[in-house]
Amino acid sequence: MPTTANARGPGSRLYAGFGISGPVTPLLLAAALGVPWLPGEFWTHVGTEVLIFGLFAMSFNLLYGYMGQISFGHAAFFGVGAYATAMLFTALKGADGQIGVAQFLLSLLVGPPVAALAALVIGFFCVRLTGIYFAILSLAFGELLFYIVFSWYSFTKGDDGIQGLLPPPFFQDSTNFYFFTLAIVAAAAAVMWRITESPFGYALRTLRDNQRRAGFLGTNVRAHMLANFVIAGTFAGVAGALWGPFSRSVSPGLLGWGESGIAVFMTLIGGAGSFVGPMLGSVIYTMLQAVVKMYTVYWPLTIGTIILLIVLFAPGGILGTIDKRIQAMRARKP
Amino acid sequence: MSPPILAVTGLEKFFGGVHVTCNVDFAMQEGEQSAIIGPNGAGKSTFMNLLTGYHRPDAGRIVFAGRDITGLPPHRVVRRGISRAFQVSSIFGRMTVSENVRAAVQAQMRATFRLFASARTLGAGETERMLALCGLEAKRDVVAGELAQGDKKRLELAIALAGKPRLLLLDEPTAGMSIDEARSTMELVDRLNRELKLTVLFTEHDMGIVFNHARKLTLLHRGEIILQGTPAEVRADRTAQKVYLGEHHL
Amino acid sequence: MPEISLAALAAQLFTGLVLGMIFVLLAIGLSLIFGVMNILNFAHATLWLVSGYVTFSIFTFLSQQFGASPWLLVPAIAGAVALMSAFGYALERLLIRHTYDRELPEQLLLTFALVLILGDAIKLIWGLENRRINLGVRPVEMLDTLVNPYQFVIIGTGFAVAAGLWYFLHRTRFGKIVRAAVYSRSMVSALGIRIPMIYAMVFALGVGLAALAGGVFLPLLPMALGVDLDIIVQCFAVVVIGGFGSMLGTFVASIIVGIVYSFSILFWPDGALAMIFLIVIAVLIVRPWGLFGTELRS
Repeated sequence: MPTTANARGPGSRLYAGFGISGPVTPLLLAAALGVPWLPGEFWTHVGTEVLIFGLFAMSFNLLYGYMGQISFGHAAFFGVGAYATAMLFTALKGADGQIGVAQFLLSLLVGPPVAALAALVIGFFCVRLTGIYFAILSLAFGELLFYIVFSWYSFTKGDDGIQGLLPPPFFQDSTNFYFFTLAIVAAAAAVMWRITESPFGYALRTLRDNQRRAGFLGTNVRAHMLANFVIAGTFAGVAGALWGPFSRSVSPGLLGWGESGIAVFMTLIGGAGSFVGPMLGSVIYTMLQAVVKMYTVYWPLTIGTIILLIVLFAPGGILGTIDKRIQAMRARKP
Repeated sequence: MSPPILAVTGLEKFFGGVHVTCNVDFAMQEGEQSAIIGPNGAGKSTFMNLLTGYHRPDAGRIVFAGRDITGLPPHRVVRRGISRAFQVSSIFGRMTVSENVRAAVQAQMRATFRLFASARTLGAGETERMLALCGLEAKRDVVAGELAQGDKKRLELAIALAGKPRLLLLDEPTAGMSIDEARSTMELVDRLNRELKLTVLFTEHDMGIVFNHARKLTLLHRGEIILQGTPAEVRADRTAQKVYLGEHHL
Repeated sequence: MPEISLAALAAQLFTGLVLGMIFVLLAIGLSLIFGVMNILNFAHATLWLVSGYVTFSIFTFLSQQFGASPWLLVPAIAGAVALMSAFGYALERLLIRHTYDRELPEQLLLTFALVLILGDAIKLIWGLENRRINLGVRPVEMLDTLVNPYQFVIIGTGFAVAAGLWYFLHRTRFGKIVRAAVYSRSMVSALGIRIPMIYAMVFALGVGLAALAGGVFLPLLPMALGVDLDIIVQCFAVVVIGGFGSMLGTFVASIIVGIVYSFSILFWPDGALAMIFLIVIAVLIVRPWGLFGTELRS
């Protein structure tokens, strides 16, 4: 790998090796480790939410930033993972509402495979299309799944949602749950990173940049799109599985297009062009939302204006804009 | 004589009501280097699209290396050994030059479903070879979208070659290149044809290139083959001159 | 399944037609904007909602000046359409036009941002309560059932809008230019006609149509926060089924969706919307360019 002409310090070397995600990831990790030291439970709680949604947004970016397709139904897999976990959780917990650690972990494990299955079925149809048709078909499937969960009262408790997802005592402590989440999200991110830097990951990029040409390389476009769709859905399922025990309940809204939109916003804010952008976007979005909602009810106005400004002036998101600046500065040096 | 590596019979294609390919019979021997010429709109690119499965023919058969490939989708045709470089460079604009070639190499190695291998090391040697072959080593870290026109065409060629084809289709390979670039590119093509027995079919507007690098010419006009022969034969033919009247001076 | 009399069937069909016309009025502007400019305007239903509130305010104001009368709805709607069209024109010139050379996701996000901003703007200006107009029109008896005669107004308006738009696009000079621009922007540009101006006018027209729908619905549906979010997804469904870029497709698909909706209420009340999505999925799988769309233009 080439190094920059005047590489200085670990930051430059990380940048040379890993792009903008290189220097940013250790910063995020350090910040993540430091969160529980902040006073009170509020920030730990927010931090857990940041991590879960950050994972969700990163899984979305596998489809968007790496493969070039926008899905408005990605939350369906988040929700399916959440519901699968919630239902097994409810089945395994005792009459007193308590659940053992082993059963708790088991219920978490069931979320991602069920989400993967849903992604396989839905993806089979979605990958036959691209662009706006892909976007709308994914939206339609997401909404369909939402309505199924919403209406099938006997199975999913419909609009009431599933309540009472109280984790075992050890995990009820917000700091413990936070570190547990951090461990899972970090591991998931590491796996995702490996995948994006594999031949498969670069094949996805060819689909993004020039789908026609990718076919002419011998790549089976649909097969690769479907595989990625399932992978992305699985990771969304991991995030969803964590969500239920975290918020102690799940509801049908988790599957709707509004929820899918959140992943899109986070990715846009942080930057779709880098691996860690969506996680940064989650930090900004979640924290901003927590703070703004303390002072005003006009959160949609706030986030809407931010999205507008980003689309118009900084479409690469924060990391994308920083990266562009760095490239421009390097280009000017002789 | 051994059977032709490529045998096209009765190929027809309509776009709506327009008859773009009319009953084309075409064959190539392995190791042959030929050109298809014709005025704009003659159907040269369409013919290449049909050969590579980008369009499905409305009638006719395409047999390559003894197997019927009519109607197969592009990725299957490529797997059988036909590779194509496009007229307007069709590369992966957001990836670097070496990433472009590497992706093509890894696709050829059937390694694109390896989720946990390292993209940087797999096929690295072959990627370097391709870059060197096409004179792109110096530009390996340039983002492909920012390349000059001529370099884009060279990348186009490198990507096509990375597929280790038996038949290479080049659609106007020297368009946009300087005289020197065009010469070196065609010399490379000649070398590959000689050393690897690579069968090459290219389309061109530059008659100098055509006469210097093709052993057989096929003249296409309005989707039909008007004439086939050696460059000298085609040059002398009256019909060819009429077709090109006002467009080229043969 | 309950016994269905012929009259009940006819009543459902009629309801379906009215619902269909509602979709026509809602979706035709969306379809026009997409057909000409290739922009999927997420904010279309939100602009419709804003128009409803604006119409309400104008109507209330006029009623205070001139005394209550259902006919005041006409100038109220006219005023709202004028105001919203101008607003649409401004939106296009200031914001939308920056996204033409951008990728699809950024265009969608821009219009989605407008949904959020305008939605809160409604809250800011008009507060949280619903707005509704009661025209004091009494239901009329027809074929053994009570029918709200305002529904005929809806049907009439729907047909008038569809016919008017057809006339505009096929018989007026400007309309023909618009249609030409759909097929070839460069050609129209080369003829000396300024494409940016056309886009701005088309967008304004699309918003104006949404405004008309907003005003016309005021006596029928309460304008409430959040309704736009449900409606926009259904508008997308209609445009997809009918075919992107085809106004005729939107018209036909609206009627179909309306009828499916009204009949679903009979058999599966909760699932009416799910039915619509199933149809969208089926269309996208089997024939992505919809009933009347042109084959997959990028």
